[in-house]
Amino acid sequence: MAGPTLFFSTLMGDEAKSIARGLQRRDPDLLDRLIEQYQYRLFRYLVYITGNKERAEDFFQETWIRVLERGHQYNGKSKFEAWLFAIARNLVIDWQRSRKAQSLDTLTDPEQEHPLQLADENDPSPLRQILSHETEETVQTSLQRIPAIYREVLVLRFQEELQIDEMAGVLSIPLSTVKSRLYRGLEALRGALQGGASL
Amino acid sequence: MSENIHQRALHLIAQARVEGIAQADIAWLRSHLEECEFCVEHARQTDHALRMLRTATIFVPDGLASRTQFRVRLRAQELREREPKRRALWLACGLSWIFGVASAPYVWSLFQWLGQRTGVPKLVWEVGFGLWWSIPALFAVAVLLMESSRKGEQADWINQGS
Repeated sequence: MAGPTLFFSTLMGDEAKSIARGLQRRDPDLLDRLIEQYQYRLFRYLVYITGNKERAEDFFQETWIRVLERGHQYNGKSKFEAWLFAIARNLVIDWQRSRKAQSLDTLTDPEQEHPLQLADENDPSPLRQILSHETEETVQTSLQRIPAIYREVLVLRFQEELQIDEMAGVLSIPLSTVKSRLYRGLEALRGALQGGASL
Repeated sequence: MSENIHQRALHLIAQARVEGIAQADIAWLRSHLEECEFCVEHARQTDHALRMLRTATIFVPDGLASRTQFRVRLRAQELREREPKRRALWLACGLSWIFGVASAPYVWSLFQWLGQRTGVPKLVWEVGFGLWWSIPALFAVAVLLMESSRKGEQADWINQGS
């Protein structure tokens, strides 16, 4: 039973190491391939954490520039996507800090006085524009009702399928906090999809 | 059926999806769900919510990847052009240090001789020698620190995630 698991984990480890080596030498072909390969996942993550398509596009490009510049810091011991999401998330946080906020968590914590406004000033429903089908409209409407810190963990766990310890690395928070956010987020999503008030 | 039993079932339903549960808990939950319509409905809603989340699609704007690849290549080129300058700076620092160390005894003798000739106190020419020897090195260190602080502006938070 452990055979296939071991095989795939070795394969993933080799892949991560090969990415790390390529990033060390700033291999342009590798970067092209990574941009292609991760474009959907990174963009989706950024849309969910920023709540704005145009901003997500900007952060998408900035994230890859950072990957190029700081690629030598990726050691290949963790999943590349976890490192990538951490870079993207911290760029968003830095941007929010520059707007006199403390952190993504503070901005989006439902217990704070002024939670993050996900909608853009000029576009009251940005997510609506990029999610097409009816079902997806339901999902995005529901997701908009959920505070960003919960939305973010849901996306990382159930869309990106990161492990809880990897999420703790991406978010720089303890495992217990990741779990509690996941439980609350799941409950909030379930409630929101039922049309009820979340949290 | 007591409230606690439902609470446990609801918690296990969530836990099973978030981090997984033990075999004994799976068995207990299964038997509970066979007789509790409320918890069955809760589990169904939770699964429905997760299915919706997993299948939600976001469309990547046309050309975003190619625009990004173009920007990344430009930036890579800029960085490559900077590399020789940085190497030259390191080389200059290294050579300067080697020369400084190698010439220190001679320069010391020179300062000593000048001090005796001009009659300045020993402390003054010793300080003069110290400055002559350390200022270029301090200058090089300052340049390198400035360079690396610019480079490492965001390194901390990136390291946190890696």
